[in-house]
This record gives sequence, structure tokens and C-alpha cells, in this order.
Amino acid sequence: MAKTVDQYFDDLRDTRVWRSIFRSGTGSSTLKRSLAIQQNVFLHLFATKVRRRMLSFSATWYLGTLTLGTFLMLVVTGILLMLYYHPSVPQAYADTKDLQFVVSSGLFLRNLHRWSAHAMVFLVFAHMFKVFYRGAYRPPREFNWVIGIVLLLVTLLLSYTGYLLPWDQLAYWAITVGSNIASAVPVFGDKIHFMLLGGNLVNANALLRFYVLHCMILPLAAIFFIAIHFWRIRKDGGLYAHQSEPSTLTKTTLAKEAQ
Amino acid sequence: MQSSNQPWSSLWKTLFGDPLRAFGIVSAILLVLLAIAPAKNHFSEWRHYQKGYLRMVRSRGEAVTLQRHFQPGIQQIWHPDIGVTDRCTSCHVGLKEASLTDVKFQPYRKHPVIPHTTEQYGCVMCHRGQGAATTVEEAHSSTLAWEQPILPARYIESGCGQCHRANLEGTPQLNQGRALLARYGCVQCHSIKLPDAGVMQATQDAPSLSHIADKTTREWIFAWLKDPQSYAASATMPNFKLKDDDIRDISAFLIANSNPVAGDTLPPISQKAADSTAGASLYGESFCASCHAVQNAAGNLVGGNVGPELTRIGNKTKPEWLRAWIHNPRVYDPGTQMPHYRFSDQQVATMEGFLLAKSDSDFLANVHLDPATPEQIAHGKSLVMEYGCSSCHEITGIKKPENFAPELTRIGSKSISQLIFLPGMSHTLPDYIAGKIRQPRAFSPGLKMPQYSFTLTQIDALTTALLAQNDRAQSMPPSLSVPAPQTSHYRPAGKAGQIMSDLACFSCHAINGRGGDMAPDLTWEGSSVQRKWLEDFFRNPGTLRPALIRRMPKFNLSNEEISTLSDYIMTVYQTPEFDRESLPESGYSATQVEEGKQLFYSKYGCQSCHIVDAKSDKGYIGPTLTGVGSRLTAAWVYHWLKNPQALRPGTVEPNRNMSDDEAKSLTAFLMAQKGSGTKEAKK
Repeated sequence: MAKTVDQYFDDLRDTRVWRSIFRSGTGSSTLKRSLAIQQNVFLHLFATKVRRRMLSFSATWYLGTLTLGTFLMLVVTGILLMLYYHPSVPQAYADTKDLQFVVSSGLFLRNLHRWSAHAMVFLVFAHMFKVFYRGAYRPPREFNWVIGIVLLLVTLLLSYTGYLLPWDQLAYWAITVGSNIASAVPVFGDKIHFMLLGGNLVNANALLRFYVLHCMILPLAAIFFIAIHFWRIRKDGGLYAHQSEPSTLTKTTLAKEAQ
Repeated sequence: MQSSNQPWSSLWKTLFGDPLRAFGIVSAILLVLLAIAPAKNHFSEWRHYQKGYLRMVRSRGEAVTLQRHFQPGIQQIWHPDIGVTDRCTSCHVGLKEASLTDVKFQPYRKHPVIPHTTEQYGCVMCHRGQGAATTVEEAHSSTLAWEQPILPARYIESGCGQCHRANLEGTPQLNQGRALLARYGCVQCHSIKLPDAGVMQATQDAPSLSHIADKTTREWIFAWLKDPQSYAASATMPNFKLKDDDIRDISAFLIANSNPVAGDTLPPISQKAADSTAGASLYGESFCASCHAVQNAAGNLVGGNVGPELTRIGNKTKPEWLRAWIHNPRVYDPGTQMPHYRFSDQQVATMEGFLLAKSDSDFLANVHLDPATPEQIAHGKSLVMEYGCSSCHEITGIKKPENFAPELTRIGSKSISQLIFLPGMSHTLPDYIAGKIRQPRAFSPGLKMPQYSFTLTQIDALTTALLAQNDRAQSMPPSLSVPAPQTSHYRPAGKAGQIMSDLACFSCHAINGRGGDMAPDLTWEGSSVQRKWLEDFFRNPGTLRPALIRRMPKFNLSNEEISTLSDYIMTVYQTPEFDRESLPESGYSATQVEEGKQLFYSKYGCQSCHIVDAKSDKGYIGPTLTGVGSRLTAAWVYHWLKNPQALRPGTVEPNRNMSDDEAKSLTAFLMAQKGSGTKEAKK
């Protein structure tokens, strides 16, 4: 009387501990399955029902999911990097060197963070192109497109603020040039520049500000907007199906309209 | 097409066809990839070198000791206050092991003996390179993220110069480089600031050109400017590589700009030299060669380098000026280092004849200059200003330019990205500095820096000295920097002071921290010698050290001058440590003298360096002691024997830690050596 893997999972779901955590219980009825999604704080952002076709690679190229994946990777490696890094002028560069030379797998950690960041920027753009050319920004998804634009900005700012933290010549001059661009804004330019750097030059204050932005403010903003972004996917009717493969429903409506 | 795709698509199906299997395979690939990082960590270079060290050590006799000293893992020397984080000792494991001197290769050989321990200041302080790195490439080479590679060993003394501002015994190259910077006028155009707020000073002032027409001719100036080294091989003036027309105009301006000095020329003296060798012997007796060099027949320079080389002096000076200069150089140049010899008229004539004969008939043969036009003179003036001649030379009407050339205070840490290298040059800072010194105009024909004729050794020395001028040297904590001794501006006062400046005593002797090192320090001369000996010495100076060729020249002082000088020296130049009359100069008991003799010859073996009995003793290192009882005071001898370094820091005489009684007996023996020691030594 050998049990299948699925039966073991069912037994597990029937235990008291499991039931105390997940309230939906066993059973594969439509109700149970939708409850499993709705009653989970993380999963309730997502739609309870997804078309099987939308899970295929060709539908989305998984660009949004991959972006989320790189973001999670950045959070994990970023937290580990924070254990070794002091945002102070005499320490910052030495800490980067230490990561490279003496921290176990420190170079791997740093490179993982760096390449994930590059990948995330690339994926965000790719995701937006895909959405744009598929026309998925159109009503009722126009608000989610705006959220996406905000997320693009947050991603770019995360990338930019992280660039200063190694405190090498490249970082120093990149931020000097970048912050000077901010001061080209009419009327408020110099004020923005001063506020961004906490002074007139890239120095200890700027390093601290960029550290706080990079490790606190911007990640929190990203998480906040990502949550809205996902929740709106569900509210806007799930993932967008391409017009070239219309569903049977829309086909008949279109046919009716044509008549 | 179908057939070629067949195996791939079937492989794809087998691996990823089933979602669960695809998940498993992707996970496996991920695990393998994740394992690379710890694996790389484990097979790191420093671990490899530590294993190699243990393997090498195993076959040695002292294996147990070495294994016990060995500490595994990354090692580090850390001094945050001076910016040292050096992990070099992670691979260079044997640096401290005295027994590993015979190992043929780094990283296991012992470090050569240096005055500091490796822990004290780390490695990078002297060797440069990237101390924080733990891989061979990153630590030693110039990489994308690190500009300063390991410093070639021949410039290693620059490390010492970051803290030590004064000359050190162990750093001849650095000392030479700094001396060259000061002597060849580098610091006249390039300012070099020192960490203690001063600037590096030139040691040799180039002659003033304000009265040059009294001294020499326009033709000589022309030949000199064309190539200074063709006139005197040892000339410190560099070659400015000027065009003939420019030289013509500069010489025209210098002659036109010159204003005469009253009394710096003398009419011919009728008394002629007694015989042809009189000039040479007067030159020798006056010890001119202590300061001036002359090229001998073999082409070697013989003599000192305090004054200018005299090989072709007859081509340069006008006879009426030379006469007046020999008679009293201070009329033409009150600040000269040359003493005012009290020569008789006949001696002046003899010396003049001897020096004028030192000429080269070809030297000015091809120089023909037409009279100067006002335009040429004006152009000459603009050239003199353009080339910054007055940085070194005093020229009437032209101010010394400020910041004429780039400051070199931090040249030793100049970023390579700020340098422009010549094609084919290796891109390192030492090579750049050396190349600039060697051929400055090669970097751009428009540069003003002249061509020096340094040897490769001198260029290395200069590069070493310049590499020591870096950021680290400027920001060294005051507790670590060892400043050069304060330059003293001591000037003796009164009549004696006037005589001393007239005789240029400070050119050779140091007193109270000012003066040359050619002759003994006289700061405590008054406590040291007996007055009668001093007066005799002025009248007829001899040498105390039989091995030395140089000695004090005879200045033909008058009795009045001698007594003024002796009074001053005996009164002023005394040590506060003891009274020179505290011990009697004679009257010691015969037993004490005999005891002293035993100590001198047996216990302390003083005869290996000193001579008391001119017949049997062979010591040539220290001064001769025949007649020392008439020369030195007993108190000086006694205190000298007790602790020579206290009276003259740095003296070679060892401190033998004698008991008071022994020192007294030796003093008794030495004070019994009466007689005129100087005269005997002269034979």
C-alpha cells in the first residue's frame, strides 16, 4: 500500500500545525484552491485563477518574474554585504578591499550583488518593452503602467546610489557628475544638489545619505510599489493576453460586434 | 535540418520535458555553480603558498621550530594611524625566521636586516604595492583598481626618506639624491615643501651675474652657455641647449647689464714668481685642492667640490680681476666661502701666474662676436627672463621668479593617470621621474628644463630622493617623522667674528651647528686645547692625523689677529659640562703614569689606532698622540676617555666604560707626552 507523493502532502496538510498556519485546509475543489490564495498574506496579491496559456514562456518571457528574482537576490546579498561595510570615508574603500581579499566568498557576494543589479536594470527595461509592444499598458492597466514607471525610477536610483558606496575614483566622479546634472534643474537645481549630497561636494555626508537611500528608503519604496504592482495585476484582470491569440470569448464578441 | 536537430531536441526532452525533472536539473546546476565560490576560496593563492612553506620546512633541520612559529590563515600587520593594512606576511611566511636566509626565492626567504622590525611599519611603507591584497597579481602589480606596483628594489631607500629628513648612515643613495637636489639647483626652480613647514634649500648659490663684466669676457660667457661641461666637466650648470643667436644675445645682455665693483681689479704686480715650480708649491701649501678640483693628465678630477673647478680658469678670468680675487675675494663677493688668505704681493703674483697658465688655447678659438646691438641686448634680457636664469643667479634688474617650475612636494605619489609617457616607456612613476631627469626636452621640445649631465647612478639617487617626497611623507604623524637638525644661523660676534668670517672658518669647521664637515667641530675647542698650542697652530698649522692629505692652510695671520682669535675661542667655545682647569696639566706621579701606560698598551690596546711612540706604534685611525700633553687639557682628556660620544656625538672613538681611576691613570700617561706633536707629525 504505497502512498504517492501527493498523499504525503495531503497528510501534511491535515496536521494540526499546518491547519493553524494555513486555514484553507485540504481538498482540490475550486473553492479550496481559491481560498488557499486569498487567505495567504503573500499570495492574496495574485489572481486566484490564471490561464494555463499565460504560464507558458512565450506569453511573458517571464520578464517580470525574473526582475522580482533579481530583486530578491539583491536584498539577500545586500543584507550580507551590510555586515561588512561601514559607510564612512576612511573605512568604505578598505571594506571593499577586505570583501575582495579576506572575507570568505566576499568577492562572490559582491559580484553577485553587482551583476544582479545590472541584470535587474536590463530586465526592467526588457519587461517594459515587452509590455509596451504588446500594448499591455492600455486600459484597464494604465495605472499599473504608471506604477511600473515609478518602479523603473526606483530601480535606476537604487543602481545610482549603490554606485557611490565602494568609494573609489569611479564612484566619486560618477556621483560628482551625476549630482551636477541635478543642479542643472532650473530654479531649484542647486538646492536639489545640496540636499542630495548633504553639502556642496561629494564627501562623508553624501556617502551616508547615499547609503541610507540605498539600504533603507529606496528598497522600502521598491517593496511598497512592487506590492501594489502585483495586486493591480489581479485587479486589472490578470496577465494581459495578446491580441494575436484572442480568447474564444473575445472572438465571439468581436464577431458579434462586426455583425 | 530535421535530422541535425533530432539529437538535441531529444536531449532537451529527456532533461526538461518533465517539469519536476527540469526543476531537479536546474537545481543541480545551481548547486554546482554555488560551489565554485567556496572552492575558489579554498584553493586561494595564499593557502597554496602556506602549504608550500610547510612542505619546504619539513626537509630542514630546524623544522620543529619553524612549524611552531608558523601561524595558518591570513596574517596582517595593521596600523590604522599610518594607513597600514599589510597582508603580505600571509604568503611571505619566513620573513622573521633567522635561519631562512639561505632560501633562494621569495616568498619564504628571511627579510634582510633593517633598523625596524617588519611589524613596526609594515611592508608597503617602503616597498609600495597593495598591502591589503591576498593575491600575487593584485599585491605586486599595477592593476585596474590599484596604481602603485611594487617599487623596484633600487629605489628602496626612498622609504626611509618619508620619515627621516636628515642624512642616515644606511641610505647613501637617498643622501646623495637629496644632496644633488640641493647642489644642482633643482630646488631653485621646483619648490619642495618639507612636512615641518620649511622648504628644501639649495646648498650652492650660483655666482651673481651683476658684476660679471669685471670677471670675464663675453666670449667666455658664450662658450660657457653653449656647453658648460666643455669648460669644466664638474660644472653644476646644466646645458640649456640654446641656439647660437640666443647665446649671443644673452651674453650681450649680461655684459651690458653688469655694473663694476670698486676695487675688484688690481694692476699687474711687478714682482714675478721666483721659479716655475713656486706656483704649484704655493697652490699645494695653501691647500687650494681641498676645495677646488683640477683635471689631471689622465682626465680625472683631483680636488674638492666646494669651489669651482680650475682646469681652464685661465680662459675664464681677466688677469686684473683674478689678482684682486686672490688678494681678497671678499671685495668682489662678500659672501664667498673662500677664505681671505693674507698673501704677500709676490705670492699673489705667483698664484696668478700659476692659475692663468691653466688654460686651453682651443677653448675660445672659434668664438667671434660682433659688438652687441640694443635689439640683441633687449632680446637677451627677454631670454634671461624666459629661461629663469635669475632663479639661481642674482642679476641686476631681474627678480627671482616664483613658482617657475612645478612643485615637487608630492611628486612621489603622483597618479600615473596624470603623467604623459613617451612611447616605449614603461608606465611606472620611477621610470617617468628618471626619464624626466635624464632627458627633459624629449618629453616636449618646448619645455624649459635644461639638460643635465648626470650619471645613471646620480639619476637613480635623484629619483630615490624624489620618490620620498610623497603623500605619506607629508601626512606622517609628527611622532614618527624625524626632522633634519635645525639649520643654525650662528654668527660669532665682535672682532674675532669679523676675522672668522674673513677666513671663512665655517666653510670647513662647524661651530654651534653651523658650518662644513671637512674639518673638526670647534664648538668646545676652548675646553679641549691649551692656549699656547692653539696660538702655535695658527702660526703654523700642522696635521694631527697622519693619514689625511687635507689640512688647515696657513693664513699668514698677524700676532694681533692670533691673540684676538685665541682669546675668543678659549673664552667662548667651552663646554658647560666641566671646568678645563679641574685637572692639572702636569705633576702626576710616576706610578700613575706607568699604570696609564700599561692600560694604554695592554688593557685597552690604544696603539692600534693612535701613535704615542712614533718609532713603534702604527695606529693611523685616530689622531697622533705624540705631544698630546702639550695640546689638550687634562680635563678634556679625562672626560673624553670616560665618554667620547658625550663630547662629540658620532665620533669613532669607542666608549670603553673605564673606571674613574683608570681614566685618571690614562690621563696622567697622556699628559706626560709633552712636546710639539704637530711638528713631529709633519715629518
